[in-house]
Amino acid sequence: MQLNIAAIILGVFNVALALVLAPLFEGILRKITARIQSRQGPPLLQPYFDLLKLLGKEDIESGHSPRMQRFAALLSLATVLTVAVQVPMGGQAPLGGQSDVILLIYLLTLSGISTLLAALAAGSTYSLVGMSREMMAMMTLEPLLAVAIVIGAVHTSTLRLDQVLNGSVYTSGLFPVAGLIMLGIILFALQAFIGRMPFDTAEAETEIMEGPVMEYSGPKLALFKYARMVKLFVFSALFIALFVPWGHIGFYPLDVIIFLAKVTVLVLLVTLVAATHARYRIDQAIRYYASLFGLALVALVFAVSGF
Amino acid sequence: MAARDVLNSIKKRFDTIIQRVDVPADNRLYLYVQPEMIKEVCRYVFRDLDARYVISIGMDDRQRSNRFLVAHDFSFDRENVLASIMVQLPASQPRVNCISDVVPAANWAEREMRDLLGIESVGCPNPKRLILPDGWPEGVHPLRKDVPWNYVPSNFDENKEYHFDEAPEGCTVVPFGPFHPTLDEPAHFRLYVEGEIVRGCEYRGFMVHRGIEKLADSVLTYNEIPMLAERICGICGCVHSVAYIQAVEQAAAIKPTPRAEFIRTIMLELERLHSHLLWVGLASHILGFDTLFMQSWRVREPIMWIAEKLTGNRKTYSLCVVGGVRWDITTEMKKELQGVLDTLEKEWIKVANAVKGDRNIKARTKGVGIADKDLVKDAGLVGPLARASGVPIDCRRDLPYAAYDRVDFNVIVEDGCDVWSRLLVRVREVFESIRIIHQCLEKMPEGPIQLKINDELPPDRIGLSSVEAPRGESHHFVVTGENNRPDRWRVRAPTYQNLQGIPAMIKDQQLADMTISLGSIDPCFSCTDRMEIVDIRSGKIQVYSQEELLQLVRQGNDTGTKKKCS
Amino acid sequence: MSLLSKIKEVIICLNAGRVTLPYPFAAKPVPERFRGRPIFHPEKCIGCAGCANNCPAREILVFDPCQEVRIIKYIGRRCTYCGRCADVCPEGAITMSGEFENATGDIHDIQQNLEIFMGTCQRCGRCYSGQGPLEGLMMKGYRSDNLDKDAWVYSSQAYLDKEPVVKDIDLELD
Repeated sequence: MQLNIAAIILGVFNVALALVLAPLFEGILRKITARIQSRQGPPLLQPYFDLLKLLGKEDIESGHSPRMQRFAALLSLATVLTVAVQVPMGGQAPLGGQSDVILLIYLLTLSGISTLLAALAAGSTYSLVGMSREMMAMMTLEPLLAVAIVIGAVHTSTLRLDQVLNGSVYTSGLFPVAGLIMLGIILFALQAFIGRMPFDTAEAETEIMEGPVMEYSGPKLALFKYARMVKLFVFSALFIALFVPWGHIGFYPLDVIIFLAKVTVLVLLVTLVAATHARYRIDQAIRYYASLFGLALVALVFAVSGF
Repeated sequence: MAARDVLNSIKKRFDTIIQRVDVPADNRLYLYVQPEMIKEVCRYVFRDLDARYVISIGMDDRQRSNRFLVAHDFSFDRENVLASIMVQLPASQPRVNCISDVVPAANWAEREMRDLLGIESVGCPNPKRLILPDGWPEGVHPLRKDVPWNYVPSNFDENKEYHFDEAPEGCTVVPFGPFHPTLDEPAHFRLYVEGEIVRGCEYRGFMVHRGIEKLADSVLTYNEIPMLAERICGICGCVHSVAYIQAVEQAAAIKPTPRAEFIRTIMLELERLHSHLLWVGLASHILGFDTLFMQSWRVREPIMWIAEKLTGNRKTYSLCVVGGVRWDITTEMKKELQGVLDTLEKEWIKVANAVKGDRNIKARTKGVGIADKDLVKDAGLVGPLARASGVPIDCRRDLPYAAYDRVDFNVIVEDGCDVWSRLLVRVREVFESIRIIHQCLEKMPEGPIQLKINDELPPDRIGLSSVEAPRGESHHFVVTGENNRPDRWRVRAPTYQNLQGIPAMIKDQQLADMTISLGSIDPCFSCTDRMEIVDIRSGKIQVYSQEELLQLVRQGNDTGTKKKCS
Repeated sequence: MSLLSKIKEVIICLNAGRVTLPYPFAAKPVPERFRGRPIFHPEKCIGCAGCANNCPAREILVFDPCQEVRIIKYIGRRCTYCGRCADVCPEGAITMSGEFENATGDIHDIQQNLEIFMGTCQRCGRCYSGQGPLEGLMMKGYRSDNLDKDAWVYSSQAYLDKEPVVKDIDLELD
């Protein structure tokens, strides 16, 4: 196993990019939402200030099991950052041949589990209700991404990250039916993965139930919020790597800029959808995911039969 | 002679037990009957004559007639009559037969009579305390005349607990309130939940009671009370002030000037506009649709500005005095108001069309919070809640007041019985209100806006008034007294009745729909909790909630002045 | 169709533009009838105490330290800005100003004290209920050649101490 220096630096750079730019994209999302709502909106850098403020606040440990809560908060940010290391951001997938898609799928599931852990550690009635919803959503949602990655794997006949995360869903040789179906499905489910309207049943349901992050305050809440922002960034990167990988120039800084432009377009799309929809109830959301999963299986059949 | 007809139909069965009858006007009827037969009379009136139950009122009349008075108000919508069936109880033994088993909507009113006046309802199915906090000493009834308005009981028991009913089999308890992000005011709904389905609910409210009725009895005069009345609610203030003034004018047989009546109508409809637009925003916020929230409030803002230009304040218009109003509408203001309404109509048509075609909102609100016609009748539900269930009641048409008999409007009725229908009713009522205001501006006669009243108002007269608030019927009962102040003032806000329908509406529905069902009745808790005892402490809540919640609740130690959302 | 209504909604929103007002960075002027903080003009007041009688919040207090002096104190803590005091004042001595930014840490910024010299009877030296409009006209010198009338106001020897006559009310024992 050769972990060369370049890979390590690239990985660290990915994480730094995610950490530094994720709040900026969140700021763009909030500003555009405000403009759609005819109001001024917060400054673009507001999420940075929010995180700084939360980090400085008193940490009230009020849940069932504070040690588990600390672990859950750290786990949530750690898992998304680890995913950030795997995903190519303008260049190659940093860990290249050393990493495979199974690890990626597991890490994504782990980040969902960190939310469940958070709710369970808090232990209040509302947290548990939020946890049961998140569990139901996860069970029907994670398979979608897994199918997309598996289709890529089937087409390239390998599990290596750098090969699969390179628009592999289209590389079937014949007309990329499976790829296009999966593109549509993931686009329709993108809101759910990132946890925004109309599918934010998990974390931000302050109107209906406080949800899994209810018993967290101060620095732990900052970690959860940061994880959510980084999730937006990382999932966009994943989406781009799987479905929109074109536009490589070879000169790394320019590639990064092109990548960031693609992420911005995706964030704009997410914002538009989030600002114009009401929240779906959990049973309606699950029915929606389940129907998408049915379509995904159809796409998988196409992929296996060569399309 | 509509009142006489109603009287005759009651006389047909109960001629012998009627002690006294007053018919002061064609649309009012006051009947005094023997106390033992009150249940029979109420059953006959409610079921056989199909009247609508409004409220029950207790009054301490010992200083004048050495009696307690209990009045049950009913509304005969088709005959346009408001009737009050009263019994007089001896001062030493104020017991009356309970009517809650024949008129389920009277449940809260009877418990309130017991808490605040000590009038026992014999046979009451649910004798728990409603208004007074748990630690309040027994035997001290705040609305009685011998208890001063600023009385603080020394033997308040801090450790008294409240016993909730047993949860049904297999249900977990989810406490909803008193602190919750959706609720603007404190209220506690104890939900019994099985999985995600609500199986039952127990409501505890009246946590912020302000002593408004007691202040009106003891401290304030006729023209000062409208300032208090308009602060009962943070949205429908004008309604309460107009209803009170109309009740006083009716009791003293004063007719306000015609121009004042039109101005009152215009301000009432302006209030309905801003309230409905606010509600559409609030409901979409509950559903998570913040964009519609911002847009409907943006459309609503010019109404607040024009109200400020007309009356001096965005919401507390301070409009009414006995015999007239305080602010006139000049010609420039009339033109400006017409301009604002035209812009509003154009914008609202666009928003209404967008909302009606929106499948996303429809999916969240169709089939949610069902209130069928039987529930509307039994629980006495009013307002858009009733009209969305196919029951066409509207005080503006059934019990006309102010200038509504001189303008032309439709009563919007839908059949869906769910939140979606209530949304449609409110959206369409906006257009009707705009029509009414335009007609009023055209038909308004010139003349003075206030009457000159030289004599004192006669004491011992009863006045009833029902006004259609944006949420439903707001009903006021006034007994005039000496020294320029009323002897009794009872306010029944529409949410008082509508809240009693909530447990039935959320049963067997999803937990997530609980907030939107509650939001669809447009609850105005500050209208509901109008009476206070100085020095309130929140009740101890015995649920599986967090330690912090309990601590917060115990620390809550304010003396009642309440703010309201707007 | 749902997509069409969503697009319609977005178009409505974008047409409206940005409606956030720049307040508090720019002043927002109030309309003419706006009921802000009431301002009492002592030079017009005749001490009839009609404002105190009609204040629903009981925020105007009246105290007579001696025959010729009446102190009217506006506390302002619970003032509801209803404007009844301005309505009933016969002299128009109270105006509802446009000031709505009244938050302060010191209640004395809002309180207003009026110390009114009451007219005494020329014959018996006692005070009677406040002058009517006609006497007011006469007192203001409408008939300046009438020296007898001018003698009314100043016949008393009372004067006011430098110390405020009404100590500040303990606001907790309201």
